[in-house]
Amino acid sequence: MVGQVVISGLLAGSLYAMVALGLGLIFGVMRVLNVAHGPMLMLGAYTTFWLFHWLGLSPYLSLLVSMPVLFVVGAVLQRLLVRRVVDAPELSSLLLTFGVSIAIVNLAQLMFTSDLRSVEYLTGSFILGPFAFSKSRVIACVFAILITAGAFWFLQKTRLGKALRAVSQSREVAQVCGIDVQRIHMLAFGVASALAAAGGSLVAVMVAIQPEMGQVYTFKSFLVIVLGGAGNYPGALLGGLLLGLVEQLSSLFLTTQVNEAVAYLLLVLVLLVRPTGLLKGRSS
Amino acid sequence: MKRAFLLGLAAVLVALALYPMQATGYGVRTMLQLFMWIALAQSWNLISGLTGYVSFGHVAFFGMGAYSAGILIGKLGWAWPAACLAGGVMAMVLALVIGWPCLRLKGPYFAIAMLGLNEVLRVIVSYYEGLTGGGNGLSLPTLHASVPIYYAMGLVAIAVTALTYLVITSRFGLRLMTIREDEVAAEAMGIDTFRHKLYAFLLSAVGPGIVGGLAARDQGYIEPLSVFPLITTITMIVMALFGGKGTIWGPVLGAVVLFTFQELVWARFIYLHQLLFGAIIVAVVLMMPRGILGVLQQKYNLPRTI
Repeated sequence: MVGQVVISGLLAGSLYAMVALGLGLIFGVMRVLNVAHGPMLMLGAYTTFWLFHWLGLSPYLSLLVSMPVLFVVGAVLQRLLVRRVVDAPELSSLLLTFGVSIAIVNLAQLMFTSDLRSVEYLTGSFILGPFAFSKSRVIACVFAILITAGAFWFLQKTRLGKALRAVSQSREVAQVCGIDVQRIHMLAFGVASALAAAGGSLVAVMVAIQPEMGQVYTFKSFLVIVLGGAGNYPGALLGGLLLGLVEQLSSLFLTTQVNEAVAYLLLVLVLLVRPTGLLKGRSS
Repeated sequence: MKRAFLLGLAAVLVALALYPMQATGYGVRTMLQLFMWIALAQSWNLISGLTGYVSFGHVAFFGMGAYSAGILIGKLGWAWPAACLAGGVMAMVLALVIGWPCLRLKGPYFAIAMLGLNEVLRVIVSYYEGLTGGGNGLSLPTLHASVPIYYAMGLVAIAVTALTYLVITSRFGLRLMTIREDEVAAEAMGIDTFRHKLYAFLLSAVGPGIVGGLAARDQGYIEPLSVFPLITTITMIVMALFGGKGTIWGPVLGAVVLFTFQELVWARFIYLHQLLFGAIIVAVVLMMPRGILGVLQQKYNLPRTI
């Protein structure tokens, strides 16, 4: 029983980690908390749904569409709006991205209606000894690990990724070294939105798709990056896995309704002991 | 100038006091909601406008008041004025419990902790069905008391505004604003910053608590989704921001303008309502982050006590 729960927790956690890594990138590079991160995930899920609905495209292949599309949406959003509040107090960026968030959700309601949609793709479970895991969750976990690994490879090994990390360490010094900070900001927002879109495409197979599905992921991603240490990228992975585990473990003892409350208690406890998160994050 | 302002204020108050005598039920309830928004925006201003700590879950206190009062009225048969005051007290208790750990957090961490508090309260309220009715909500016994609630709501709005005036013109308020400008410097000057933030937080919770109770009594029915929406927090923030946060009259002005706008314009665009609101938020943040009074204060070098 516990083994099953731990593995389920890690399966869910890998998705949280990937989505939250995006939010963490934006915060690390721009010090902006993006409330519109969840709606990006929702748009990714709808991309997958429509491609599946019209063309019968496999949800996993639709990652190749949803990620680039949302990359562009994110970069444009950064260029047009978020750029103006990067240096403002956090209230400005919180409110601005919230405004964007409800506008996106409202547009989605107008265009897609509020009907619950689902992608009937991969049902059934893998049976492994005493454990059973739904196929879609296992495959989503595999994809999440691959995409997250890809993101880390990009951050660690490529010139652009190094530039991005340099900006997140010190914007002024990066600028002096000849890095185009504005471009890196756009890039970070684009990558982050693509990661959210990947999360959306992967959960599209598991949960009901509707315009307000994203909000809960915004909240969870906030929890994750604060748990792990905001602005600390490996910390987002640790935080994501931890959140997945805690949610699943608490569902052993309590009903699933309250696991959000348990995760929040965990957050407050962590912040009390280590105000900058488990791995050292950045103070604002 | 000052005398003219006071005379005008007195005239407005008298007019509002006489208003229910010849108003329709709809008119009374609309004005009552305006008072509610004034009290909410002003309360948010007390903690966030003065100390700079962004309370991104202030509606939690509103919901706490609504549920405390709702349970006291519905299950224990309290009279509504007492129950609403108790709602204010319960909101302060919540502020104490949550402020003690969370006010040590800085910047975005505090905002996230407050956002989380609101989500969690909603989950807890949905879960303890025996006490709160869970997702089915809580119905209060019918009572036609719009006019008394109108006066009560108005009194709360006046009280919170008066409280803001007292705070801003006091040494306590100066210390809060020092924290906003530079917390480390404030600490170095010997201000017990944690204690000051906590007091401001408690003061900012009591208004929403009472107002939440009054709103619950007025509507006669509450449910988790209707009393803990993030959008209520955002609306009070945008009102305070639009009028000018950190000022005395800014939140009142913002509430009046945005509420009127909402009643007159948005009601015609039911489907685009949220899209428009999103656009307004973005416009306020980008074009006038200091708010109307903030801009005027800076431009004409007006005193803090505006």
